Amino acid sequence: MYAITDPWIPPRRSLLAGMPLPLLVVLGLLTATAGALAAAELLPLTPARAVGAGAAQGALLATAVTWTQSRPRSRTAPAMAAAVVFVGAVGATLPAFAAIAYLVAPVWLWTQRCKLPGLGLTRPPIGMCVAGAALGTLLGAHLLLTASLTLGYGVRVATPAHLVSWLAYDAGANVLTTEAFFRGALFDRAQRRWPFAMASTLVTVVCLARYLVDPLLPHSLEVMAGAVFYLTLLSVANCWMYWRSGSIVPGVVAGVAFFICYRLLYVLS
Amino acid sequence: MLIAVTAALAAADMTPGTPWRHLYLVPVVFAGLRFGVAGGVVAALGAVLAFGPFVLREIEGHGPTRAAAEGIVTLAVLTIAGAAVGSLAARARRQRERYDALRAVQRALADPATLELTATRLASIVKQRLRAEAAGLVLENGRVVAGADHVHPRSPAAYVMAHREPMFVTDAGAGPRARRAVVVPLTSMDETVGVLAVERAGDFSREERDALAGFGAAMGLALDNARLAARQRRFAEELELKVSQATARLAEMDRLKSDFVALASHELRTPLTALQGFSELLATRPFAPAEVRRLAEIMRGEIERLGRIVSDFLDLARLERGLALSIRRAVLDPAPVIAAAVELFRRTRTSHRVELHVDGALPHVDADADALDRVLKNLIGNALKYSPPGSCIRVRARAADGVVTVDVEDEGPGIPPEERALIFEPYYRTRGTAALGPGTGLGLSVVKSLVEAHGGTVHAEAGSTTGTRMTVMLPALP
Repeated sequence: MYAITDPWIPPRRSLLAGMPLPLLVVLGLLTATAGALAAAELLPLTPARAVGAGAAQGALLATAVTWTQSRPRSRTAPAMAAAVVFVGAVGATLPAFAAIAYLVAPVWLWTQRCKLPGLGLTRPPIGMCVAGAALGTLLGAHLLLTASLTLGYGVRVATPAHLVSWLAYDAGANVLTTEAFFRGALFDRAQRRWPFAMASTLVTVVCLARYLVDPLLPHSLEVMAGAVFYLTLLSVANCWMYWRSGSIVPGVVAGVAFFICYRLLYVLS
Repeated sequence: MLIAVTAALAAADMTPGTPWRHLYLVPVVFAGLRFGVAGGVVAALGAVLAFGPFVLREIEGHGPTRAAAEGIVTLAVLTIAGAAVGSLAARARRQRERYDALRAVQRALADPATLELTATRLASIVKQRLRAEAAGLVLENGRVVAGADHVHPRSPAAYVMAHREPMFVTDAGAGPRARRAVVVPLTSMDETVGVLAVERAGDFSREERDALAGFGAAMGLALDNARLAARQRRFAEELELKVSQATARLAEMDRLKSDFVALASHELRTPLTALQGFSELLATRPFAPAEVRRLAEIMRGEIERLGRIVSDFLDLARLERGLALSIRRAVLDPAPVIAAAVELFRRTRTSHRVELHVDGALPHVDADADALDRVLKNLIGNALKYSPPGSCIRVRARAADGVVTVDVEDEGPGIPPEERALIFEPYYRTRGTAALGPGTGLGLSVVKSLVEAHGGTVHAEAGSTTGTRMTVMLPALP
C-alpha cells in the first residue's frame, strides 16, 4: 500500500515544468518562416500550411513525449516525435494517398510505447473503446443533423480516397497529437494535482483554445459556437474516459469518429 | 422525456426563448436525484444536445439575439443543474453512508476483541464503506495491523504519525490512473495512537476527507480502549499468576516449616540424648581417665552442635522479623580466619582430606571475624557432611578486581542445577540430602544473610569434576 510502504515524493514544481523549449522554438521559427515565405509568395499556400500544421502538431507530440518518457530520458525522442508528425504533414501535400504518411507518427509511437509509460498508450477495456466510438459517432451525428437542418451546411458522401486521407490525418496527426498532449500529458499531470472537475475544466479550456486559434477553422460565428459546443463535450468526455481507463485510445477513437463526421459537412453555395 | 420535449419544441417551431424550454429541467433534475452526478451530467448532456440545435439555428439565422442569449443561458443552467443536483444528491447519499459507516465502526468497537482484531475490523469497515481500494492501519509503535507488512520511514503514514496532522496525497503511485491517498492520525486524549490510510483511484471529496478525520478520532479512542483493555487483561493474568505462585510458595513454606518442626525436634533431641546418656554413664560408672576424656570430648562436640543449632534458630528468628544480623565489622585479614577454620576441620575430621590453597596475599576486608568464621565452618561442614569418606575438600582463597573469593569444593553427589538457587532459602533441603545426614535446612540461609550483610555474595555451582563448589565473594578494602 503506497501510503504505508512507499516514500512520499512531493509534486513537481509546476504543471508545465520540463517543456522542450529549444525544440519548440525551432518549430515556431519553422512555422514563422513558412508563413513569411507564403506571405511573400515565395512558397505556395498549401505546403506553407502543411509546414505550420506539422510544426504545431509536432510541438504537441514532442511535449507529450518529453513529459511522459521513462528514465533515462532520451534527448532524441522529442525531436523524433516532432519529425514524424512533420513528415506526415509534408507528405500529405503530395498526391491523395500520400496522406498515409501521417501514419508514420502512430506507428512510431507504437514502437516507443514501452519508453512512454505515462502517455496512456496502454490497452484500454473494450467497453471504453466502444463507448468512445459511440460518443464520437453520437456527437458527429448530432453535428451533421444540426448543421444540415439548421445551419445551412450540406452532407456529402465521402469517396474512399477522402475517407483514407481523413482517417490518416485524424488518427495520425490531428486527434492523435491532441489526445497525446491534452489527455496523455497535460490532463495526466493535472489529475495528479487537482480533482477531476478542475483538471478537466483546465484541459478543456486549453484544448478549445488550440482549436479556436487554428487558422484552418472557419471563423464564422456559428462555426465558432459549434466548435465550442462540440469540442467542450468531446474534451470533457475524453478526459473522463482517460480518468477511468488511463488510456488515450478511447479518446482517439471518439475524436476520429467525430472528426470524420465533421469532414462530411460542406458549405452550401 | 427529452425526446418528447424536443419533438414538441421542433413541431411548434419554437425559438430558444420559449418558456417551454424549462421542461428540460424535469428529466435533468430527476436523473440527478436518482443517479447522482453521473446521471445528472448525462441527462444534462442529452438535454444540451437536444436543445443546442435550437440555439445554433437562432444564432445562424438571426445572430446574437435575446432568444439566442436565453438559449445559451438555458444550456448553461441545464449543465449546471444536472451537475449540481447530482452532486447534492450524491453528497446526501455519501452523508448517509458516512453515518452508516460510523454506526458500523461503533458496532465493531462494542464487540470485545483484541487490539489487532479490532484494528483489522476497523480497516475493513472503512475500506468497504468508503469504497476504497486499500485501507491500512499502523499503530504508534510502528506495527502494521492492516494493509501492508512494514512502514517506510519516509512514507505518508510515517509523516502523519510524526506530525499528527492529516495528509492528502493526490498522486499516490505511478499507475496510469491517478490514485488518491488520505492518511489521518488516530488520536485519543491528544495522543496519536496510530494512523489510518485509505487509497483509491478517483477523487476524495472534502467531505470524505473530513469524515475520515472524524473516523480517526473515533477509531483512536476505540484503539486506545482496546489497548487499555488488553493491558488490563494482561495485568490481571500476571496478577493471577503471581498470586498463584505466592500461594504455592506459602504452601511450600508451610510444608517446609512443618517438616522443620519435626526435623528440629529430632536435631535437638539427638545431641540431648547423647548428652543424657554419656552424663549418666559418667555419673554411675567408674572410667579410666582416658575414657573419661574421650566421653567428655564427645559431649563437647554435641554441645557445640546444640549451640550451632540454637544460633541458627536465633539468626533465623531475627531475619524473619526483618532485623539485621548482629555483626561487628572491623578491618580484618581473612587469611588467618580461613586457615584456622580449615585447620580445625583437619584435626577433628580425619575421615576426609581438607586442603587449603591461598593464591597470593589476600587484601584486608571489612568484616566480622566471628561471622566469617561461621560462614566458613558452615560451608566446610556441609562439604564434609555430604562427601563420601576419603574424599577431598578443597578450600581455595584468592583476590582479584577488588574482591576476595573463597571457594569450598567437595566431591559429593552435587546439587541439581534447578535447586542451586533454592538451597539458600530457609528450611530448604535438596531432595538427595535428607538421606545423607542430619540438618535443619537453615545453615545456608544464614550463610547467605551473613555474606550479604557484608556486601558480598554467595552462590553454588557444579564442581570441577564432581560435587559442588560454593563460592563466597567479599569486597576487599582498597
